[in-house]
Formats: sequence, C-alpha cells, structure tokens
Amino acid sequence: MSKIQDTVHELHRLPGVKGAALITNDGLVVASSLDERFQGDVIAGLTSYLLMTTQRCLTEGGVGRATQYVLTATHGKTLIVGLEDSSLVIVLDQFADLAQARSEAQEAAQRIRRASRIS
Amino acid sequence: MHLIQRMKVWKELRQLEQRAREEPSPSTFVDLGQVYINLEMHDKAQRVAEDGLALFPRSTELRQLGDCAQRGRRRQQSKEVRARLTRAPNPKLYRELAQLYVELGDAASLHSLCQEWTVRYPDDAGAWLAIGQARLLNFYRDLAAREGQEAVRCLERAVQMDGREPQAHKLLAELFYRIGAVHSAQVHLSALQELQPDDAELQGLLDHVAMLEDHGDDVRALLGEVEQSGRLVHQALAGAGTQPGQEASVARVREGLAGVAELAGVRKATFIKGSRALVKGAIRDGRDPFLRIVRVIAKSAHRFARRLDIGSASKTVVDGDFGHICVCVYGDALAGAQCDRGADLEAVMAELQEIVAGALHIVGGEHG
Repeated sequence: MSKIQDTVHELHRLPGVKGAALITNDGLVVASSLDERFQGDVIAGLTSYLLMTTQRCLTEGGVGRATQYVLTATHGKTLIVGLEDSSLVIVLDQFADLAQARSEAQEAAQRIRRASRIS
Repeated sequence: MHLIQRMKVWKELRQLEQRAREEPSPSTFVDLGQVYINLEMHDKAQRVAEDGLALFPRSTELRQLGDCAQRGRRRQQSKEVRARLTRAPNPKLYRELAQLYVELGDAASLHSLCQEWTVRYPDDAGAWLAIGQARLLNFYRDLAAREGQEAVRCLERAVQMDGREPQAHKLLAELFYRIGAVHSAQVHLSALQELQPDDAELQGLLDHVAMLEDHGDDVRALLGEVEQSGRLVHQALAGAGTQPGQEASVARVREGLAGVAELAGVRKATFIKGSRALVKGAIRDGRDPFLRIVRVIAKSAHRFARRLDIGSASKTVVDGDFGHICVCVYGDALAGAQCDRGADLEAVMAELQEIVAGALHIVGGEHG
C-alpha cells in the first residue's frame, strides 16, 4: 500500500502536476496526493462518472473499452489511465507537457500494477 | 421535516443516485430529479436532467424534468430578488425581477410589479419594455392581434421615454419585419445600428430586409391579417441576415472535415452543432453511434472540468484498443474524429480545432 501511495506522491512532485490519485472504478479513493484546492472524494466521484459514462456509450456503440483519457480545459488538464479495477488520475496545470505526463503516468501505472500484485 | 424523515430522504437519494449511475435510463434520472425537486433543490435537479440528457438526448421526460427544475430555480430566484427589492428598491432589481416573471410567464405578478415600478421610477422605460416583451411573447404564441397591438404600444412608449434603449428597437424591428412592415422594421434597425455601430450582424440584417417587399405600415391591419391567416409573413430575424455567412461556414466545415478524413489513420469525422451533424468517412448516417459517442464525451468532459473548477473542456482524447477518439469543443460546436493507433493526433486535433473555431455562424436547429 505504501508503494502505491509513494508512486502517487512522486507523481504529484513532478512539474505542472497539481495532484494525483488512484481511485476504484466505483469512485473510492485508494491513494491520493493533491494540492489543497482539490478533494480526493470529489475527484474520485467525478472520474468514476466520467469513465462510466464514456465506457457505457463506447460499449453500446460497439467501439470497445477505453484505456486512457486526456482532457484539456481552459485552466488545466487531466490524464486518466485505466488499470484493471481502478484508474490513475493526474491533474495538471494548463502549461504542463502532456507527452511527458503520459510517459510518467504509464510508468507509474506499471509500478502500481506490480505493487498491487505483490500485496 | 424532522431528523428521521430527513435521514430517510437522504437514504433514498443515495439509492437513486447509485441506480442512476449503475442502470442509467431516463426514468432513473427522472426519479432522482423528482426527489431533488421535492426537496426544492432545483440546481441539483437541473444537473440530473443535464446528465441524463447527455446519455439520452431525445428523452422528452428528461427535457420536462429540466424545464421543471429551471422553472423552480426561477421561482426561487424571484422570491430572493423580491425580498431584496423590498429591502432596497432600485431600477436594476426591478428589471431583474421583471425578466424572471417574463420567463416564468407570470403575467399577474409582472403587471403588479410594473405598476409599482412606474410609480416609484416614473422616468424609467424599463417597465414598459418588460410589459411589451411579455405581450410580444403572447403574440408570437397565439398570433392574437390584440396582444401584438399592446406589445407595439408598450415598446413604442419605451422608445419614446428612452431612445437609447436598444432592446425596444430590436423587438419592434423584429415584430415589424415578421408581420411584413418592412420599412418600419428598417427604421428601428437603423436606430439600432446608430446605437451599436460595431455590430456587424446588424448590417447583414439591414441588407437582408432591404431586399424584401414592404406590406405597408398599417400595423393594426397587418396584425389583423396575421391573426386571420394564422401565420407570420417572415420567419424569425435571428440568423436571417447571416445566411451568406452561414453558408460559407458550412462550406468551411465540410472542407475541414474532408481535410481531417484525408489525414493518415483517420476513419471517421463529424461536426455537430445542436441537432445538426455533418459527417465524413465510415459513418452510415445520422443515427451512427459515433455521433452519440462524440456528444457524450463532450458533455461529460464539460461537466467534469466545470465541477473540478479547471474551466471549460476544449479538447478530449480517449484511447483504447480501437485507436483514438478525439473531440474538440468551442461553444456549442463539437468536432470529433476516430483514428487508428499511430495517427498524428496533434494534426487531427489542430484540424478539429480549426473546424469548430470557424463554425460560429452555423445555426444548429436543422438536420444536416
């Protein structure tokens, strides 16, 4: 568990990252490290809604399952990487380099997968 | 409501929220929204309706839920504004409350408010404008000549009292145009242009109106003809003068979509505004699920970003075994593309952005 928390914490320390959290598909927070202005349970609830809504319409449309989600907004960006029963959410500021964040997120996701298997 | 009742309601709410998330259907959203309305939490009911409509855009029940929640919000707002007005009256608050009554269609409250308003501020044209607006709505709804005459009387009074009030000129111009009094409409459009010289759309409207046949300036007779025939001479002014701009925009969007579809790895592309959709690539027709996918992604991303307080969602990319789905949003215009893995996402997003940015003139009320 502490390895997962450490991974999330390390992501938060990267430049441009406002917070990171690992959440279950039904919207519970497993681990989080966020700037003060964000709340873990709010991010978890919103991410769960976003993923459920998207997955549902993709499945109904016969497209398949989504594995990664990148959202760019006026004042920030969000990157969501799907794991098996959970998702890694990273909130970034609007100037953050998405390519770098994607690669860091993939590495972090690998570490979390390994840590989940061990625990 | 005592504590046990309150706890029961909250328990029911949690169950309904879970049901709406796990088994989304119009009725689960409506049930949840109804509970919020009963609790007078109209904001939440409206959000529930919006979330439901993102998934089921054609649901009549969800639209009714949204309307009901919106009316509830307006009623709440009107009570709050009324209380503020009683404490510290000023013309701005009268205007705000009158607008709420117009939107609610509460004619009795509007009339008593306007009476109070004119007594307190006899030189303010706002009360006449508000009554004129309400009468005009009634006229457009029923096409009753009497309502039209009253609307003209009130709006002309507003113009006499304050010639610099653009809204009164605008409403009169529209009414005259729609009943065929083209010259009278031109007079008010010209007055409006003097007040708003930077408005490019106005020149377009004036050019459009100048090409039409004038049916005379006997407004009473023209209103009578409308009542008898049951139809207006011209359709709404909004968008009428922007027709060439709109056609050019549609052409640009088509070209843009063709450009996206030609990029390596792009399978399909679409542009959506309101109920209008233009498509390119491997899309069957307007019922293709890809259109719904683009709408849902855009709507849920918008909600996510707004609630997370990171502004408006403008670009979204969803990756999976299927490749990538890219969605760009600008105002109420959406452009989306599905592409294979390995496609140049930056180029696709740049093209989609160009499309939505250039689609300002397109009116979304028609099917493409």
